[in-house]
Amino acid sequence: MSDSVYAKPVAPRIILRPALASLFLHAVVIYLMTVNWSASEPEVVKVTPVPKAINARLVDVSEFRPQPKPKPKAKPKAKTSSKPKPVAKAKPKPKPKPVAKPKAQAKPAPKAEPKPKPEPRITEAELAAIARADLARAVAEEEQQVEATATAEEMAASYAALIQQTVVNYWSRPPSARNGMEALLAIQLIPTGEVVSVSVLKSSGSTAFDRSAINAVEKAGSFPELQKLPPREFEKTFRRFRLLFRPEDLRY
Amino acid sequence: MQEQLSLIDLVLHASFTVQAVMVLLLLASMLSWYMIVNRFIYFRNARDEMYQFEERFWSGIDLAQLYREGNEKTADGHLVIGMESIFRAGFKEFSRLAQQEEIDSEAVLEGSRRAMRVAAMREEERLERHLAFLASVGSTSPYIGLFGTVWGIMHSFRGLANATQATLATVAPGISEALVATAMGLFAAIPAVLAYNRFASKVDLLSNRYDTFMDEFSGILYRQVYALRSRDRRAG
Repeated sequence: MSDSVYAKPVAPRIILRPALASLFLHAVVIYLMTVNWSASEPEVVKVTPVPKAINARLVDVSEFRPQPKPKPKAKPKAKTSSKPKPVAKAKPKPKPKPVAKPKAQAKPAPKAEPKPKPEPRITEAELAAIARADLARAVAEEEQQVEATATAEEMAASYAALIQQTVVNYWSRPPSARNGMEALLAIQLIPTGEVVSVSVLKSSGSTAFDRSAINAVEKAGSFPELQKLPPREFEKTFRRFRLLFRPEDLRY
Repeated sequence: MQEQLSLIDLVLHASFTVQAVMVLLLLASMLSWYMIVNRFIYFRNARDEMYQFEERFWSGIDLAQLYREGNEKTADGHLVIGMESIFRAGFKEFSRLAQQEEIDSEAVLEGSRRAMRVAAMREEERLERHLAFLASVGSTSPYIGLFGTVWGIMHSFRGLANATQATLATVAPGISEALVATAMGLFAAIPAVLAYNRFASKVDLLSNRYDTFMDEFSGILYRQVYALRSRDRRAG
């Protein structure tokens, strides 16, 4: 019993857990770094031309008649200035009449008599005006709600579709194009919607095909509709994005 | 043709020196995290055992009994660390010296104090293991990373000298890959510095506790040895 407790100054062996923890931590960090790096890549807008065909259908004459009604529906989309007119004009006139008059008469006279009077006063035209005004108001409200609820992603998606449509229209494919060819272009826009640079990220293998894709984007030149997009959304999606050209409708 | 840069590509395409620096820093980071977790577990164990032992010690238990319990523990292969080992060293020396009647009480106390001081030194040594490594990783790895960056930038600018058309695109990948080295250096250094500071303060705390315990324990031994010697004198 002469040897000290400290004959060999051993430390407790704590090896496994720290080693595992260290390895695990570094693996997670490296994984997160690489994943985030690739996740921040701009999104791809696919350009796959739909077969060009003219949409034609038989139109009945009766279809033209109810057109004045759908007009207020269609108008607010294109022009916001035309919207308030039908609402402002139609609303104040017809409303005070039926509301104010029956009440003033109802007090001195018995109930049954004044009722039939105001009814003939509202002419057919006025009724129609009221109905239209109501409709316009409802449509406007609905549209506002839709606009508010439409997420930014949906907007971006619709603009992506627009870009795709525009580019497809300008794309004239070379005769050497085949099904299965793919050209990936990197495109940079500025907030006014103009294209600043186009470059090939992944070639299709055929230079003519690549050239045609670049030409299509250059001919399209700019997408002024993108000015309406909120700047943050623009930076996120369209500052740099990628276009994938892929003909699928070819027969060979 | 433009190439999409990814982090892996940046690391793989770096020049040899920069790659070596990156590997060094990665190793340093992994080792320092190993040591951080190791120290964390060790300090937690030391603190827990200290509290347990203090509770046991002040519960009024017979000291010889406490010592025997420690013996059983070591026989089981359990390693005695911290305050208990100081106690064991002091008590062993004390009982060995107190048995010899020709040694006077001052010498017995002095001997047990010395044994306890040695034990406390050993304990501090154990606590401070790996801390030097953490300190040096914390202070040098930013410099190593910086070296890698400077080397990489030198490299990419030298390549620029040969190019006829100097654009940003010709230097940007080189600089980007060079900067990865600095990022890694900082990544290794920041946790190491934080951990070093925290552990250094813990070492201070624990060794203070050990010192206090040593004084308290020698007070008890003082009482015991004088009681023992006066009994001896009366008997002999």
